Amino acid sequence: MEDETKNEPNETSEIDKVKAQRPSEERGSTEASRPNVEEEYLNNWKRERADFLNYKKDESRRMEEFVRYANEDLILELIDILDNMELGLKHEPTELLKKLSKDFEELLKKYGVEKIKTEGESFDPVLHEAVESSEVPEARLMEEVRPGYTMHGKVVRPARVKLIK
Amino acid sequence: MSKILGIDLGTTNSAMAIIEIGQPRILENKEGMRTTPSVVAMGKNGERYVGVTAKRQAVTNPANTIYSIKRLIGRRFSDAEVQKDKKLLPYELRAGAHDDVEIKMGDKWLKPAEISAMVLQKLKADAEDRLGEKITDAIITVPAYFDDSQRKATKDAGEIAGLNVKRVINEPTAAALAYGLNKKKDEKIVVYDFGGGTFDVSVLEIGDDTIEVRGTGGDTHLGGDDMDQKIIGYFIEEYKKEHGVDISKDQLAVQRLKDAAEKAKHELSSTMQTEVSIPFISADASGAKHFSVIFTRAKLEELVKDLVDKSIQLTKKTLDESGFKIGDINEIIMVGGQTRMPLIVEEVKKLFGKDPHKDINPDEVVALGAAVQGGIMQGEIRDVLLLDVTPLSLGIETLGQVFTKMIEKNTTVPVSKSQIFSTAADSQPSVEIHVLQGERAMAHDNKTLGRFILDGIPPAPRGIPQIEVSFDIDANGILNVKAKDKTTGKERSVKIEGSSGLTEDEKKRMMADAEKHAGEDAKKKELVEIRNLGETLVYTSEKMIKENDGKIKEEDKKELSEKAEAVKTSLKSESVEEIKKATEELSKVAQRIGGELYKNQTPPADTPPNPENEIPKEDPKE
Repeated sequence: MEDETKNEPNETSEIDKVKAQRPSEERGSTEASRPNVEEEYLNNWKRERADFLNYKKDESRRMEEFVRYANEDLILELIDILDNMELGLKHEPTELLKKLSKDFEELLKKYGVEKIKTEGESFDPVLHEAVESSEVPEARLMEEVRPGYTMHGKVVRPARVKLIK
Repeated sequence: MSKILGIDLGTTNSAMAIIEIGQPRILENKEGMRTTPSVVAMGKNGERYVGVTAKRQAVTNPANTIYSIKRLIGRRFSDAEVQKDKKLLPYELRAGAHDDVEIKMGDKWLKPAEISAMVLQKLKADAEDRLGEKITDAIITVPAYFDDSQRKATKDAGEIAGLNVKRVINEPTAAALAYGLNKKKDEKIVVYDFGGGTFDVSVLEIGDDTIEVRGTGGDTHLGGDDMDQKIIGYFIEEYKKEHGVDISKDQLAVQRLKDAAEKAKHELSSTMQTEVSIPFISADASGAKHFSVIFTRAKLEELVKDLVDKSIQLTKKTLDESGFKIGDINEIIMVGGQTRMPLIVEEVKKLFGKDPHKDINPDEVVALGAAVQGGIMQGEIRDVLLLDVTPLSLGIETLGQVFTKMIEKNTTVPVSKSQIFSTAADSQPSVEIHVLQGERAMAHDNKTLGRFILDGIPPAPRGIPQIEVSFDIDANGILNVKAKDKTTGKERSVKIEGSSGLTEDEKKRMMADAEKHAGEDAKKKELVEIRNLGETLVYTSEKMIKENDGKIKEEDKKELSEKAEAVKTSLKSESVEEIKKATEELSKVAQRIGGELYKNQTPPADTPPNPENEIPKEDPKE
């Protein structure tokens, strides 16, 4: 495979040519016999306009996405607190804690944040992150170590799982 | 023309960027992340994972999860480096036919270039998905110390991924390009690259159209991960002190400590201390245990000091080997996420005696620079238009000597802006357009560029005439200011050549002044604004009395006049509070009476004029 690719020494040397090289005859011909400078300028201008209009379209799409996920950092910090509440519930379940964590989950749901399912599901690295695994090759049953969340369908934090059996 | 993708193919993470309207921009991958882990894996049923998904399944499949492939690419199997890494890597390696390295993934033996190609293929596909167009050309970066064989193998990887690799460039060169330093002829630059797993330092020299690497050094096993390990070690130690239990064997606890360590490290780049709190980290017979510690920046710096010192020593050594002295170095560029740490910036600054460049995201600067290289190459085909920006704001003076900006500083030219203004007094026959430049709130604190008078405005009450003022800066920086009376169509204009007209020093001084005086300027402006408001209200109140003669009850008329007089008196003072109080009282009465008039079917008074949109006849102070 290595022999098939041409190696061009000056493209891979430690001196980086910043400008593109262009055969000199090509340069000569464009400068000598440039038929219509105005047309070239006009075309460049049209391209700039087109670039700009396309950019505006892209930008508005990006803006939408930005607004959608703008509070992702905050949500992640809130999820950390929810984690602790849930851990607390496992250790010392109290009515108050139960209510608080339920309210919390409802709040997150309002902002498009949903818990990732792990029980009865099979391991999928798009949604789950394995942190421990038994040596059995068919280990596909999961035990959730830390819940994961999606926000408007995007994984903001994968569920951490132990693969067992 | 299709875009050239700039790719930073990193040891732990990769990033990609393109040029958009002359500026490089990072492209996010399919998962919405700005960097992609350079990890590839083959699942049990032959499915392929690349990037974050490969990383997430790593513990279930360590033998078939390939990372750090950059440490092996283009190297001989017998290299000391390869033999050393072989011991650390959980996947299987063997020597190929030409003493090259082969890696086992699934039941196949692959070359490093084939593995790298999988990462590049994902980047290419994700970029195409983002842009909605095909990508065929790419610029890929490599460390400056890469030899021909490593460079060629990287190029091969690109070609296997279906990319036409226009050029393989050095990472430090890309960083210099991202900062636009290729234009600084004869400068010497040090690029300090402290990444997650490797530390690289390079010395560059800028020539005519070239950037030459004059020295390279570093440590391929020194990085931010080492720092994380130190922090985790400290947390484990602290926990032991408090609870007498060693949790270093508890994988899940260590995982949570690792998350906390990374988070704390990031936070301590901007704060002096942070509280690390991990509830329910472990449990024993006595119940649940929590981990909680106040972690200060000083403690963090103490923990990692030796690692930072090592990098500084290596920088000195590399500089020595390059034949340059500290004083020869014109610029220093920071690359790699770890350089966000204030201690590192401080130590580098101490070594060179000057501030390093760190404005561009250090995780992204190399990919951005690769995209810039692509842009320069395409620029040969289509001239890249370099556009100037206005260094300072431009505008005119309005009522009360307030500077009203028309074109904000840093606006790209050519540009035009226009706005409708009006008169500041009844039957005002002319307006004086006083063109100014600067950042201060009050007109007289800024630089006068020109002034002219538009006269012949037909008599009309204040605020009624429509004067359109337009500012136009062409591509050559020539400013044209025009004022037009919309009613008569009469217009006057002034042309100001070289509207910047300022030396670099003047510009700096004006910006510094603006910053220095921002507080008092705001106060002055507040006084003018409240005064304008007071005057306007007095004017409308008096107008209301005049126009509604007979409709307003005598006692109301008297009250209104009294309150208006009170405002007039307060206007003589310099006290914002006094004027505000009197104005508010007048406003209340005027509203009440106005409301009664309105109830009696009298049409409401015209919308009160807005002083910010009013141009006085002439500047009273001049």
